[in-house]
Amino acid sequence: MRRAGSSVRRRLTLWHAGVLALIVCLFAAGIVLFVATRLYSALDEQLAGDVASIEKVYREETGDLGELHQRVGMMFEVSEGATVVYKTPGWPPARSAPYRVRMIQDASHRIIAARDETAVRQTLRTLFLILAIGIPGAIGVAFAGGYFLAGRVLAPVGAMAETARRITAESLHARLPVDNRDDEFGRLAGVFNDTLARLQDAFEQLRRFTADASHELRTPLTAMRSVGEVALQRPLTAAGYRDVIGSMLEEVDRLTRLVESLLTLTRAEAGRIPLTRHLVDLGELATSAAESLRILAEDKEQTLNVTIEPDVRTECDPGILRQGLINLLYNAIKYTPSKGTIVVQVSGGSSGEAAIEVKDTGPGISVDHQQRVFERFYRVDAGRSADEGGVGLGLSIARWAIEANGGRIELESELGAGALFRIVLPRARRPASRSEA
Amino acid sequence: MRVLVVEDEKKVAKALREGLEAERYEVSVASTGEEGFFLVNHETFDLVVLDLMLPRRDGIEVLTTLRKRGLQTPVLILTAKDAVEDRVHGLDSGADDYLVKPFAVPELLARIRALLRRGRPDQVLKLQQDDLRMDLVTRKVTRGAQTLELTAREFDVLEYLLRHAGRIVSREMLARDVWHIAARATPLDNVIDVSMARLRRKVDERFEPKLIQTIRGVGFALRSERA
Repeated sequence: MRRAGSSVRRRLTLWHAGVLALIVCLFAAGIVLFVATRLYSALDEQLAGDVASIEKVYREETGDLGELHQRVGMMFEVSEGATVVYKTPGWPPARSAPYRVRMIQDASHRIIAARDETAVRQTLRTLFLILAIGIPGAIGVAFAGGYFLAGRVLAPVGAMAETARRITAESLHARLPVDNRDDEFGRLAGVFNDTLARLQDAFEQLRRFTADASHELRTPLTAMRSVGEVALQRPLTAAGYRDVIGSMLEEVDRLTRLVESLLTLTRAEAGRIPLTRHLVDLGELATSAAESLRILAEDKEQTLNVTIEPDVRTECDPGILRQGLINLLYNAIKYTPSKGTIVVQVSGGSSGEAAIEVKDTGPGISVDHQQRVFERFYRVDAGRSADEGGVGLGLSIARWAIEANGGRIELESELGAGALFRIVLPRARRPASRSEA
Repeated sequence: MRVLVVEDEKKVAKALREGLEAERYEVSVASTGEEGFFLVNHETFDLVVLDLMLPRRDGIEVLTTLRKRGLQTPVLILTAKDAVEDRVHGLDSGADDYLVKPFAVPELLARIRALLRRGRPDQVLKLQQDDLRMDLVTRKVTRGAQTLELTAREFDVLEYLLRHAGRIVSREMLARDVWHIAARATPLDNVIDVSMARLRRKVDERFEPKLIQTIRGVGFALRSERA
């Protein structure tokens, strides 16, 4: 982590400094070129003026050339053919010294003038010197600054890595510090924190599931053990032993059912239960599911009404969907008091969806429980754990059965006003012919 | 009738032996696949109960080899894996039936009876227990001189009990064979209990002796109440 961070820092700095150096060098070269051109052209203009003055003086009164030399202070030579008319002292200038030379010539005469360009060269040299010292300095400063800046920018990454490294299954509640929600790193940290929250959630669920499962498994084991131990404390009649064994077998049955349900759920979650989909008439499915449980409703003198809209079809695995629906119905019958009413309604919605509603007149489910009733082992009434047959997995299985068939389950309820579970499935538009499996 | 039980779990093997001997079968027990294989090759059995999870030699392997050698004896496999593909694999390997562990002994006995009966036509038209009579053709049920009015499902349950008269019928057997629902993770047990209570009201309430008995923790049995 650290190595990668510092390498990013180095690369950033190098790129930054490199680009800056290139720009500065190009810029400096441009300046030097520009200044040199301007200085030399100024010198040339001066020389041209000089030569013009010399020519003028020469044409009017040759004798004044010496005076001109005194006044202007440059060196020149004026000749007519091969004869030198005038030349300043020190002419011709030494070859080694830098001179700018200009000459005009016509049939009668020739004028050559030279001006010392040392000053120009000196200026250019100074400029060059300044740049040569200044540019590396500036790049150095840019390098250092860039390095510092990159370090500052990348520091949150290091901090995030450090925090992330410390997070384990036990400290999933920890979150990365977010300095600024809107910059790139803030967003990254935000995304990371969201992931952590989901992970924590999943872990929490798993932990709760494990705790609940072991509780549910322990309860029948404890019952079996104590019933057996108590029975062995003193001799019993044959009927007494039969009763004890029967009681233990009941617990075995409970355990079996629990393991069975857990296996179903585990296999379902691992996607290992293959679905065989057909076109299914939901009205028929709901009617047959209700009929198979009607006897339980009759036993509690409840009214179980099924109203169906004809020709509501969906593509699903009827066995699995039926199991889900039966679980919902069973809950409705179980929690609705005697002489209550349970209504099953199948309808084809307008938006290409089909719905099966199971409405009861039971005690209802308060809002804070509604989110959680589909969780495994979750019970609205925590105290009621050992009621007949229930292990708290029915709604989990129902939800899986419905979602596996591409649907969703909705719950509308108010405390004291009954509950309405709604299975929503995509409605099949095709005619009722055999579809592909 | 000779039955070979190939089962490595000692307690299960002992329970199976006692359960089968109580039904007057002659039982041999093998605790490894090899031993079972040896016994089948050297002795004659009417039926083999074969556990699939065996030490050293897998039950499926034993079964496949036996079938390749032309063995015709019916084989019932016991497996802890109840995923569909495992069952299919077992049946494809030559098993005649399977039971998923943990199984109920009454169900195992019923299945063994069914396997041994297979091939022999079961042309029973009338069933009877004490003064309870069932006519399968007219679907009429009488107790003594009185006709009982049963629903279709009650009739099916009673027929199942009569066919297994004197023996225990578990809720799982009823769920599978009468209600035709295989999954145990459904609230069907309560449905069965309520149905049974109603059937009992019709069959036993006004008559003696009581015939339908609840065997706590196991299931039901149709037999004369013993003192």
